[in-house]
Amino acid sequence: MTTTSTPAARYYNGETAEVQDVAVRVTTQELVIYRPTGAEVVARWPIAEVAVLGDTQHEVVPPVVRRGSDARLIVEDPQLRNTLASLVPALHALTPQPVAVGRRIAVFSSAIIAMVGVFWGVLDYGTEYAAPFLPHSLQERLGETVLDDLLADKEECEGEAGLAAINRLANDLAQEAGYSHPITVHIVEGGPVNAFTLPGGILVFYSDLITQAKDSSQVAGVVAHEIGHVVHYHPTKGLVRAYGMDLLLKLVSGGYSEMMSTVGGGGSLLLALRNGRSAERQADTTGVDLLERRGLRADGVSTFFQQLMEKEPKDAAAAAGIWSSHPPTAERIEATKRPATGRPAFSSAEWQALRNVCK
Amino acid sequence: MSNSTSPWAQAAPPAVGQTIAPGTPWAPDPTPSRPVYDGRLGELYAIYLRHLALMLVTLGWSRFWGRTNIRRYVWSHLSVLGDRFEYRGRGRELLIGFLFALLLIAVWIGLMWLVWLYVFHEKPAANFGMFDLFSLSVALIGFPLAYVGHYAGLRYRLSRTRWRGIRCGMAGSAWTYGALATGLHFANATTAYLLTPLVSVNLARPRIANTRFGTLPFVFAGRAGDIYGRYIGYYFLNIVAWIAAGVAVFAAVGGTIEGLGISSDDFLKLLSAPSLNTVLLILVLAFAAYIVFGLLILPLRCWWQAYLLRYLVTHSRAGNVLFTTAITTRQMWGFLVLNYLIILLTLGIGWPLVMHRTMKLISAQLWIYGVPNGQEIRQPADRGPGYGEGLLDMFDVTGV
Repeated sequence: MTTTSTPAARYYNGETAEVQDVAVRVTTQELVIYRPTGAEVVARWPIAEVAVLGDTQHEVVPPVVRRGSDARLIVEDPQLRNTLASLVPALHALTPQPVAVGRRIAVFSSAIIAMVGVFWGVLDYGTEYAAPFLPHSLQERLGETVLDDLLADKEECEGEAGLAAINRLANDLAQEAGYSHPITVHIVEGGPVNAFTLPGGILVFYSDLITQAKDSSQVAGVVAHEIGHVVHYHPTKGLVRAYGMDLLLKLVSGGYSEMMSTVGGGGSLLLALRNGRSAERQADTTGVDLLERRGLRADGVSTFFQQLMEKEPKDAAAAAGIWSSHPPTAERIEATKRPATGRPAFSSAEWQALRNVCK
Repeated sequence: MSNSTSPWAQAAPPAVGQTIAPGTPWAPDPTPSRPVYDGRLGELYAIYLRHLALMLVTLGWSRFWGRTNIRRYVWSHLSVLGDRFEYRGRGRELLIGFLFALLLIAVWIGLMWLVWLYVFHEKPAANFGMFDLFSLSVALIGFPLAYVGHYAGLRYRLSRTRWRGIRCGMAGSAWTYGALATGLHFANATTAYLLTPLVSVNLARPRIANTRFGTLPFVFAGRAGDIYGRYIGYYFLNIVAWIAAGVAVFAAVGGTIEGLGISSDDFLKLLSAPSLNTVLLILVLAFAAYIVFGLLILPLRCWWQAYLLRYLVTHSRAGNVLFTTAITTRQMWGFLVLNYLIILLTLGIGWPLVMHRTMKLISAQLWIYGVPNGQEIRQPADRGPGYGEGLLDMFDVTGV
């Protein structure tokens, strides 16, 4: 088993940066590397010690090496590579393999698109079902972290009777919905006229919302709406989705996430908004429903929106629901309209205490 | 090159004791060559897309191996004097580097937690949360650490790069470089960026002069003084360009408003309660302003960057091998601006195209004069770091 060839390879000795044009001969025992002119032997590598570094898919010429040495044999000539690969099993990786580039690109692109779709779907629908199963203690801790951050430079109102009143109503409504964990309401001094919910059953009200409310039913309406968010786990779902979208973006952009977040942010914003709107509708419906089930006055939600709409400057875009995480106000008023019947949610003493919670 | 700092002049006299027969007149080897890049865009895409698909499956944990494969492809398609480069890094090494950096951050968090517990916790004036303390400390150490990571990453990549079977390498301390870079950038920022040539040259020097091919060190002979004249020109042209762009934009906005027959009172009213049309108009104007600024400011920046790169390349050498480039402002535009836009507009999918364009640019624009003396360059004893790029990965500043 002998073969000879004309110079079709280069030899690096691994000790210096010298380069030699060489020819290669394969015997039963050895790979003989020699100078084509004069046939001076440059190196003899035992067959058992030769190997190929890398593969033809990523490297044009995977170097042939003798194990334990830095020397290299570089064979560019495809014919010689085929010969070597056929004679020495350890050099099989040298065989030049045609790569079906178009097919590979098509396969991987489809795989990526399919996986992005699956990832998105899991994120969008999966969180819907998975969020309630997250341990409550974890959700609570998550909420408290955000709360600490949000309240860092704000004054909290500490009127005991007022806080007790709003906490009592919030927990009543949550129990009515079958939510088994306690609710904690925080009241922050000042504006805007707003309230929000954090993971783990934490509600935050701004005191302006309470002082500017026409009557207690409006505040009760907002409490009910926020409890709607709590029992549907909206804040937890939102956080999980935002985190997931961030991860997805990082993966498909191949690590250019910082640069991409400006542009790609649009995608996650879109998702957040869409979920935002359906979540608001769900919270509205649930809130009104909870008030009615307890026999309480349930017109507060719609009159609160009415009041908001009268006060706010008419922004065409916002009124049309564009660029807004909440559905158009008019639509929500219509959907939550209820007669002004039923017991008041707060006793008059409770309502007084709540009005004065910041004093 | 009449410049006295030019390596073309410095490379000339052979050192005493060099193995050149006495009496042989030394002349620089005038044989020019260029690197050759024979990679194909399609093949690079096939590898890149496979990497992305695996990233999705493994939630990003395959990136160390993906990056390694891409490097192997790019390195092996680049050749100098007929010999291809080799990349022999391993995904495992990058993973270990990443885990190490993760550990470092974890230790740091622990340390900050202790500081918070004993210094700030339950003190009357402590409106200072654990989270605040941590973000502040990261902001403070992150900047220098990014430079340290940059240098260490370069060292790792060089130590895994071979040419003619010989390992490259990088001497010097990454921490010294980090300190130097932080100090210089801070000084530059506090002096209205008038120190830029000093910063550029003094940060290029450690990176170039510490680079080794085997036992052969690179030499950098640049001096900030050489490029100050051009920089001052660029500096003031830049100011003029900003003013011109500002005037142009204001004139355009004013003209549009007057053209629509709106008084300034009406205009303010429009802004206080914007309609959908107003918002769209403002967006269009903002985009126009961006274009005007881009057309005036960015070419100027590319003009300076091309000059700086030409200077740095022509003032570097490896033994008696000299380098030069004639990269133009337009090519720099393609490299800096166009490449950025490709990445941005394709959401990152254009990355292989950018890599391909960059390698083509290098192979077309880098001229190498002379041939290294292979017998004198020996394999280094140092094998380089055992793992790599953890810090670099942490700060997300690396593509490949």
